Parts: sequence; C-alpha cells; structure tokens
Amino acid sequence: MTTSTAQSQPAPAWLLQREVALCPCGCIGKRRKGSYVAKTLSGASGVLRQAMSSDDIAAQPGLLQRLDPRIKLVSLLGLLVTVALLRSLPLLAGAYVVTLVLAAASKLSVTFFIKRVWLFIPIFTGIVVLPATLSIITPGHVVLPLWTWHGQPQGFTEQGLHSAGLIITRVATSISLVVLLTLTTPWVRLLAALRSIGVPRMFVLIIGMAYRYLFLLLDTVDDMYTARKARTLGGGGDSAAGRRFVAASAGTLFGKAHQLSEEVHQAMLARGYTGDARSLQVFRLRRIDVVWTICAAAGAVALLLADRGLGG
Amino acid sequence: MHIPDGYLSPQTSAVFTVSMLPLWWQSARQVRKVVKSRYVPLLALGAAFSFVIMMFNVPIPDGTTAHAVGGALIAILLGPWAAGIAVSIALLIQALFFGDGGVLAFPVNAFNMAVLLPFVAYGVYRLLAGNAALTSPRRVWSAAVGAYAGLNAAALATAIEFGVQPDLFHKADGTPLYSPFHLSQSIPAMMLPHLLIAGLVEAAVTAGVLTYLQRANVPVLRINAPNVALTPAEVARRPVSPVRVGMVTLGILALISPLGLLAPGGAFGEDAPEDLDLARYHLSAVPTGLQKYTDFWGNALLPGYGDGSPWQYVVSAIIGMAAIAVVAGALVWLLRRVRGGEAGAADIDGGSGVDTPPVKEGSGSPA
Repeated sequence: MTTSTAQSQPAPAWLLQREVALCPCGCIGKRRKGSYVAKTLSGASGVLRQAMSSDDIAAQPGLLQRLDPRIKLVSLLGLLVTVALLRSLPLLAGAYVVTLVLAAASKLSVTFFIKRVWLFIPIFTGIVVLPATLSIITPGHVVLPLWTWHGQPQGFTEQGLHSAGLIITRVATSISLVVLLTLTTPWVRLLAALRSIGVPRMFVLIIGMAYRYLFLLLDTVDDMYTARKARTLGGGGDSAAGRRFVAASAGTLFGKAHQLSEEVHQAMLARGYTGDARSLQVFRLRRIDVVWTICAAAGAVALLLADRGLGG
Repeated sequence: MHIPDGYLSPQTSAVFTVSMLPLWWQSARQVRKVVKSRYVPLLALGAAFSFVIMMFNVPIPDGTTAHAVGGALIAILLGPWAAGIAVSIALLIQALFFGDGGVLAFPVNAFNMAVLLPFVAYGVYRLLAGNAALTSPRRVWSAAVGAYAGLNAAALATAIEFGVQPDLFHKADGTPLYSPFHLSQSIPAMMLPHLLIAGLVEAAVTAGVLTYLQRANVPVLRINAPNVALTPAEVARRPVSPVRVGMVTLGILALISPLGLLAPGGAFGEDAPEDLDLARYHLSAVPTGLQKYTDFWGNALLPGYGDGSPWQYVVSAIIGMAAIAVVAGALVWLLRRVRGGEAGAADIDGGSGVDTPPVKEGSGSPA
C-alpha cells in the first residue's frame, strides 16, 4: 500500500499496520503467554483490520479487480484443483511465481502479499512438516545422516525433503490464490458470485447476513472486554475466574445474538419478507473476462500436461 | 483443526463435497421446518456467533490461552441441524474472507467441525441429560461430557483424513504427495493435545456458558428444548407418558428375550408331529388332521429360527422385531393419512416447535 492512494482509503493507516496474517481463530499454533483479555481484543480488532484493508485493496484499479467475480471465483477453484493435482516441485514453484505476478498486476504490494502468505507458513506448515523429512517418518534414501539405528544411518531423506518441499510450495500457492481472490473482490460481490457456483440463494442470504452481523458481535465483544480491561488492576487474576468471565461473556453474547435475530426477523417481516430472497445485481461478461478464462484454462491444462511429462 | 489447502488430495475433498451436499440440504430442511421464515436471521446470527466464539481466548492453568470451537454449545442451544449450518457458514467465511482453513478443504473441515462435532456432542448430551430439568446441574455436566466427546471425535476424524493420505497418494519412489504422516503418527499427534487440552477447553466453555445461561437467561435455553421441565420439582410433578413407559417395557422385553435360549425342554403344544411323545397322550398315531396341515406352509424365510445355533436365533429375533416395527409403522402412517385433514391443519397451526418470546437481555428472572 502506498501513501499516494491514501485519499481513497477510508481505513486509517495505524489500523492497517502491525501483524499481517492474522488467523482469527488463533489456531495457527502461536500460544504465547499473555492476558486472555488483551488477546481477544487484539484478535477482534485484527479481523476488523483485515476486512477493512481487504475492502481498500479491492477498490484499487488492477487486473483482478476488473474481472467479473463469478469468473474469478470459478477460475480460482479450477486453479486450486490444478495446484492440488500437481506432483512436480518446479511446476508448483512456477505456479507460485505466477501468483506473485498476478498480485503485482493487481496493484498489490508484493512484499505485503508475500508476508501475508509466508508469515504463517513457517509457523504452521513448517513445524508440522519438519518431522516428516526424517527417515523415521518417511523412509528412503538418506542424504544427511544424523544418527544410526541398528547400524542403519538415519536422518533427512531425499523423499522426506522432496515431500516437505511439495507440501510447503503447494500450501503457499493455494493460500496465495485464495488471498488474491479475497483481496481483489469486495465481499458483497464475492457473495453474489457464490450464487454462480450453485450455492442456493437462501444460503447466500444467510452468509451475507452472518458477515454483516459478525462485525456487530465483534463490536459487542470489544465493548465487554475493554470494560473488563478498564476495571482490572494488575495481572489479570487466576485462570478459573478468567474462564468464568469468558463463559459469562459468551453467554451474554449468545443472548444478545438471539434477541437480535428475533428483531431482525420482525423487521424483515415488516418489510414484506415472505421467506424468499431476490438479488438485484446483474453481472455482464466483458472481453477481459473471456480472455482471462481462456488464459486460466490454458495455464491449468499446460501445467497438468507438463506435470504428466515431468513428475510421476 | 482448520485444515489448510495442500494437505489433502483433491480426491479426498471431492468425496467430502459429495457427501456434505445432502447433509447441508437436509439440515436446511430440518431447520426450516421448525423455525419457519425465522430461520434466515436465526442461522445468520448463529453463524456470526460461531465465528466470534472461536475468537474467545480461554485462559488455561499453564498461563497460556486456548480457544474453543463452540460447535457443541450451538448444537445444545439451537439443535444439531442448525449448528451444522451455522458452523459451516462460519467456516466458509473464515476460508473465503479471512483465508483461515482451505477453500478446497472446506467440505472436509465442515464435516469434522460442523457435522461430527455437533452431532456427537448433542447425542452424548441428550443421552446423559435424559429427562433432567433445564436448570439442573446434570444438564451442565452432560453438556461438558458431550463437548469433550464431540471435539475429540472431530480431532480423530481429522487425524484419519491426514493419516490415509501417504498410503493413498504417493509417488513411485514413496515420496508422499500430500500430508506425509501415517495413521500411526497422525492419530497420536492429533489426539494427545485434544484429549488433554482442547477437549477440556471445549467442555469448560460449553459448561460455563450453560451455567451462566441457567442463572441469567433461561428463555434462551428453551429455544431447542421447548417442552423440558424447568426445575426438578416440575420434573417430579409431570405425569409419565404412557407411550414412553410402553416403549421402555418393549425395549426391556426385547433385550431379555434371549433368556429363553437357556430354558431346558420345549414349550407344550409346539412340538413337530414327529417329536410328539405319543404314549404320553395315550395316542397310537399322529392325528390325521395334524399330519395333514402341519406342512401347510413350507415357505418360511428362516424355518425353525435358523439351524438351531444361538446366533441365528438372535438374528431371527431381530429380523422379526424389525418386520413387526415396519408393519406397525406402516399402519400408523396409513391411519394418519386417512385421518389426515384435521391432524395436518393442527400441525401447521401449533407445530412451530420454537415459540419463545423475544429474549430480553439482562432481565435475569426465568420465565
């Protein structure tokens, strides 16, 4: 992101700084010590930050931003399957480089893009895959002996290292593709595109409403936790009291969410909702969409054919 | 437990996609039947709640924090079908909008966390909670055990999905193409932390929230349990349903019926003609009528309940009970159809299972 486009960005810069790849569920393996209150607060603001920065980037004029969201979603799914089917490491690496080119063509900062994808690959995938490079998990030709077991050298195996390379590159390419889609498509249009891959209208309606109220609930959590933080002196007390607070706040949140769903339902009925949903937006295919589809399909077929020839 | 893209083969994802489609369709049907047009906002808010509850950091005794999935809690509060959709949508939003969990792996993640977890948790919860009052401690610990079982079932499923990859998908030289860990490695690696930490966190959050709601917001507990007694006193006051007593009695009879195998001798009047002790009844020959009609019907599916081994006898008994249940069920269905008009109308009028008034936050007093 550059400062020259600051005027088109409604999100303030300070909110967009700090950690880039933030797993909203916290399940990427970071278990650093710290106050649960502070962590929940930073998690909530992280989701908000990510959503706002995505909307900012999606508003910029770039290659992928110009594509029809339906085409983008369908071609992304096709490319994801292609990447999942590839068995050759050089081809996967090539596919990853292509995602970088696409990111640059879509006015994304390439360093930001790389950081966002790789920040959690070493933490999660790296740690998970590391033991599999050893001969105790993946037997095969030992290239770097570390110890011996019953006279047999044990250590990193060629097969293990190759397999780890395959997985890490595949995970990186897959995540890059999804991040490209997410960052270049405003969520309302992405939602409408879900219809095109056969998601029933009712589900699209529910997903859209869930996404909208997600931020309201996050705001409520933020209020509750900020208030808690404001009236807590010192460290944060014992963990049992903490768990009671978490349970009580989750219970309160559920009560609020349910009450809200009743009110939303009444408001919908008052506006003539009969249990059926209609969409207003009409998409039109343009030349760039057709060109992109042909390019994506040709790329996928070429990758798969080359993979047949190379890998095995 | 969110599987990213790249760990599973596309074939695995395809299998799960095909099996998830009817499950989602059936969930939507079930939820719609119960809550009518209210289901869109209810599920939307349920999904948003499911997303947010995964972000609650729960302090654990070693000083760090962990987080719950919340699938068990939503299953208990809104029912397992609604939980299936709500958690699926939360997972979809995470995968598509926030890049957490794979897009191709979404059906697999949905199966683990949105189907297996809520249904196992809810099944265990209902089994243990039985007829207990809504505000009883038994409901709380049943929910805790259910949540623990559900989360570990989901973790086991994830481990199996990872563990079958190297055997099914590898190169000629043995290089694994996807997740490289075998079942003997993936199952301990997944189950150890889930049995020791994550399962307990899920159980603690579920139980904690239920305890809080029992104290502060009972109407919310009624959403998925409209006819359950509120207090132990009310449970004791309620008359026992005759249908229930009948079903339990039948069940006990079915279970103890193999005891007959232990009894010596045969039943009076049931002997085949050739086994009759003619002298005992002062007869010189088998009566002609008995002789004539004894083989009248020779087309039995399992003559003599099998060849006499206890196993065949038990199997015959199960087949017999199933046949009777089918016939009885068909009769009940037919009677309903014949009497259809009035019963159907009553269903539409009063059948909307969820009829709680809008919950007033903070009102505190049970309804």
